[in-house]
Amino acid sequence: MSFLLDGVALTHANGFTALAEITLQAERGERIALIGPSGAGKTSLISLLGTALAPTTGRATVLDTALDKLSPSQRKALRCRIGTVHQAPPIPGRQRVVTAVLAGRLGQWPAWKSLVSLIHPVDIPGARRALERVDLDDKLFARCDQLSGGQLQRVGIARAIYQQADLLLADEPVSALDPALALATINLLIDDAGQRGATLVASLHAVDLALSCFSRIVGVKAGGIHFDLPAGEVTTALLHELYASEGEELPVLAHEPRSIPGAAAQTAALAACC
Amino acid sequence: MLLKSTARDPAFRGRLNAAIIVLLVLWPLLQTAEVKPGALFDAGNLTVIGNFLAAFLPPETGSEFLGYLGKATLETLAIATAGLALAFLLAVPMGYLVSGAGREHPTLNPLSRSLLTILRGIPELVWALVLVRVFGLGPAAGVLALGLTYGGMLAKVYAEILESVDATPARALRQNGASRPLAMLYGLLPQASKELASYTVYRWECAIRASVVMGFVGAGGLGQLMDQAMKMLNGGEAATILFVFMLLVFAADGFSGWLRRALDTPPAHRSSPFGWRSGGFMLALLLSVSASFHMLDIGFGALFSLESATSISQFVASFFPPDLSAEWLAKVAKGIWETLAISIVGTLLAAVLGLLLALPKPRAPFTLLLNTLRSVPELVWATITVLAVGLGPFAGVLALALHTAGVLGRLYGEAFANTPPTAARALRQAGAPAVVVFLYGTLPGAAPQLVAYTLYRWEMNIRMAAILGFVGAGGLGQHLYFELSLFHYAQASTVIIAMLALSIAVDQVSAGLRRWMQ
Amino acid sequence: MISSNLRRLALKGALACAFAVTVALPALAENAVLRVSAIPDEAPTELQRKFAPLGKYLEAQTGMKVIFTPVTDYAAVVESLATKKIDLAWLGGFTFVQAKIRTNGTAIPIAQREEDAKFTSKFITADPAIKSLSDLKGKTFAFGSPSSTSGSLMPRFFLQQAGINPEKDFKNVAFSGAHDATVAFVAAGKVEAGVLNASVWDKLVETRKVDTAKVRVFATTPPYFDYNWTVRGDLDPALIKKLTDAFLKLDPANPEHKEILALQRAAKFIPTQKENYDGIEKAAYSAGLLK
Repeated sequence: MSFLLDGVALTHANGFTALAEITLQAERGERIALIGPSGAGKTSLISLLGTALAPTTGRATVLDTALDKLSPSQRKALRCRIGTVHQAPPIPGRQRVVTAVLAGRLGQWPAWKSLVSLIHPVDIPGARRALERVDLDDKLFARCDQLSGGQLQRVGIARAIYQQADLLLADEPVSALDPALALATINLLIDDAGQRGATLVASLHAVDLALSCFSRIVGVKAGGIHFDLPAGEVTTALLHELYASEGEELPVLAHEPRSIPGAAAQTAALAACC
Repeated sequence: MLLKSTARDPAFRGRLNAAIIVLLVLWPLLQTAEVKPGALFDAGNLTVIGNFLAAFLPPETGSEFLGYLGKATLETLAIATAGLALAFLLAVPMGYLVSGAGREHPTLNPLSRSLLTILRGIPELVWALVLVRVFGLGPAAGVLALGLTYGGMLAKVYAEILESVDATPARALRQNGASRPLAMLYGLLPQASKELASYTVYRWECAIRASVVMGFVGAGGLGQLMDQAMKMLNGGEAATILFVFMLLVFAADGFSGWLRRALDTPPAHRSSPFGWRSGGFMLALLLSVSASFHMLDIGFGALFSLESATSISQFVASFFPPDLSAEWLAKVAKGIWETLAISIVGTLLAAVLGLLLALPKPRAPFTLLLNTLRSVPELVWATITVLAVGLGPFAGVLALALHTAGVLGRLYGEAFANTPPTAARALRQAGAPAVVVFLYGTLPGAAPQLVAYTLYRWEMNIRMAAILGFVGAGGLGQHLYFELSLFHYAQASTVIIAMLALSIAVDQVSAGLRRWMQ
Repeated sequence: MISSNLRRLALKGALACAFAVTVALPALAENAVLRVSAIPDEAPTELQRKFAPLGKYLEAQTGMKVIFTPVTDYAAVVESLATKKIDLAWLGGFTFVQAKIRTNGTAIPIAQREEDAKFTSKFITADPAIKSLSDLKGKTFAFGSPSSTSGSLMPRFFLQQAGINPEKDFKNVAFSGAHDATVAFVAAGKVEAGVLNASVWDKLVETRKVDTAKVRVFATTPPYFDYNWTVRGDLDPALIKKLTDAFLKLDPANPEHKEILALQRAAKFIPTQKENYDGIEKAAYSAGLLK
């Protein structure tokens, strides 16, 4: 089992309830998309799985480790096995690409190795292989502030790939990218998780992208699970119910908002890619 | 074969060379600065410093002394405030002229730039000695000296802060037809105002400390009392004065923090940009500046009288021609090298110390330690380190390092706080240990700031190293003190020119290094 | 002859109530002020304390308001006298020579203590191994102020005659700035030996400010002329006469005068003249302090 949330709730210090009574579980190798209106609790759920936030009540187990009563060293060991892709890649502009990618394994390396790597990168071939996957191996020794936004996002993904995590979390990983790049990026993540049998959980704004690329869709609304279905069983009615607060239109990948049927052609094209 | 070549970092050779060069340069500097940590633990030195520190208790609380102290404290505040007000008046137009910010074409402004360099390059003390001829003994010379030196420093930093913020808003305004001052007011000032204000307040704190130097020319203030207590090794008085000093600096610190928070609060919705708070603040500022000038009773009219004009020109003339005999030049060259060594080694030591003190959590005790370190001026540290490690350049190195560590530690801490936390947070979430998180996530983001701060401090420290010799801590200062005391102006002139040249050279190297780092 | 502006400015910087004076005594005419300073061979607070009764006495004798401005730098006193910022100054032998040169010979010494006619300096140490001047080679050594006669110039001159060049033969030279500071330096072990004027040394010994079991005198210089009270040459001759008489009139038999003399550490004041200091001027040239 990859993770198990049982009656988990999360209340922030200011009294705001971000998640209420969530029960969700995933097997190894599943590909799950979290969708739902903004403010529904997708980011909180991802943070919870990444152990950045601890549940207020309920039982949570991630990668066979119970989250309550974790010692710092256990938490660290667990975190090494969880990879995260962020909406904006959290990479200092002045770092070199090779260092940024190698930073994916800092949790696994002994401290001396991390320190030596600052003086001379210790695993250049490994970083190069990870960058080859995202088609950026020519930028191996470039500095991150010389890259475009899309390239930098791919460096962030190369880092996650290099980390070889068992659980790959992605919080709106492509919302800043144009449609073609977004699609390619999601494909990369799915591809990498699939090759290693890792679990992938991504929160997505674009419903069409979620439906076409992910096998399991979890609709999150007002801090709870609205539905949890295989992609094929998600109906337009369910989606409209999920996004009721955001009006008639469903959020999709393309620039202009349009409903699912209207975008059938594009959805089909996306499906073919996945 | 192919694999081998791909496994090599192309930047490594360059880094290695740089490291070797740094070591090659640093070694003779360490030799000159007579860095011998063993001296810190020498039994004789330990008793000396121990006895002196033991005399700190009980602090002097005699009513006569406290009376002097109260008066001197007010005077110090007044000198610092009046000096900074003058500096500000000087810095705003100069900074505007010198800065490349808001300009469509880069300009060099060689005239105003070199004027700034001369203003900053000559230590306050030397200015004070010159101005004492015009104003007589008293705080006026100190105030003007502060005004000139700090005016130069503020102008330079204002210019650079304005250059460092995002230029696009101002550029857009200028393309829409706005004049340069307006484009700067609307496009640059909103981004830079917080940093400008906090740097100005920070300089005010520095001005309070600089009054120690002013004590040398009888400008009064806490500095004069401190100078005496330290010379006489009167621990009790020194303790009381130090305590008051720290209180002052802490108060200034709190004030600076309040000001920064005030700048952060979004303005209320009203048509006038000034509410009661900013209005009240402006009023209080004006009042305190005019109260300072009133208390010191400075008549700047004297600066423009014929008599003072002749006495100034006579005095200036006595500095020419400088003594350029080979024998004297050799002595000065040795002093330059020693001053350079003190400033570099002291700054590096301070950077390491500051970094170590900027990181640990919880912050409270370390903030206190940093504030204590920096509230004690270098010259006072020097009188203590001279006791701790004996006369000579190493005492100067330690004095610089202790004070500068306080300054840099604080600036580093702010730089870390301002670094986007996402990179570090992501690494922490990936399970990296704290040290590694810092090195991979925080340091790269903050590094340009850290380097810039350190280099700025070095530029300041070269000036300070030049006068540390006044208390026996090596460098050019000892020559200057000696020659000025004996009215050997030709020789003193050579030393002042050497100081100026040295600080200009250091500015150039520092600017070059900053460019290279980017 | 002096702009009132400048005169007003000269009042500034007095630690004690220059401000109060200008506010409280606006009625006093500007030229009724006698401005006095002294080389800071001792702590300025100490100098102020010592000067207070003498200042009152001079006020009574001249009918002028007397203002004492303490400074921390020897050269500042000389410069102030030369630029007419002060009228009367307590100078050392060497600072007098400097003042004479900087005022083109117009500064006039009016009186000196009896002791100043045959003044000496004491070499002190806390190191048992130092027994004579020749033992000083390779040691750290403290002078007073570089411009001090008894704390720098004359000791330097006599050291040279004993074959010691301070710049070459001492390991490190410090300038403590004042005579009592030199004692503090030596007592604390900051330097291995130092030199100061005999008068301050005697005072410190009498008042037990120095532990003579630890710090001892190991050499004394031959006598020379030292301190005097000097006036600007362009003061009103009548005023100069009044001031000179005031000093010479001080009588140890008069209890009030006795207190003043005791604080000045003087048996009595005697007349003096420029020529008395020619020897010091020669010594200064030979020691390289005058060029």
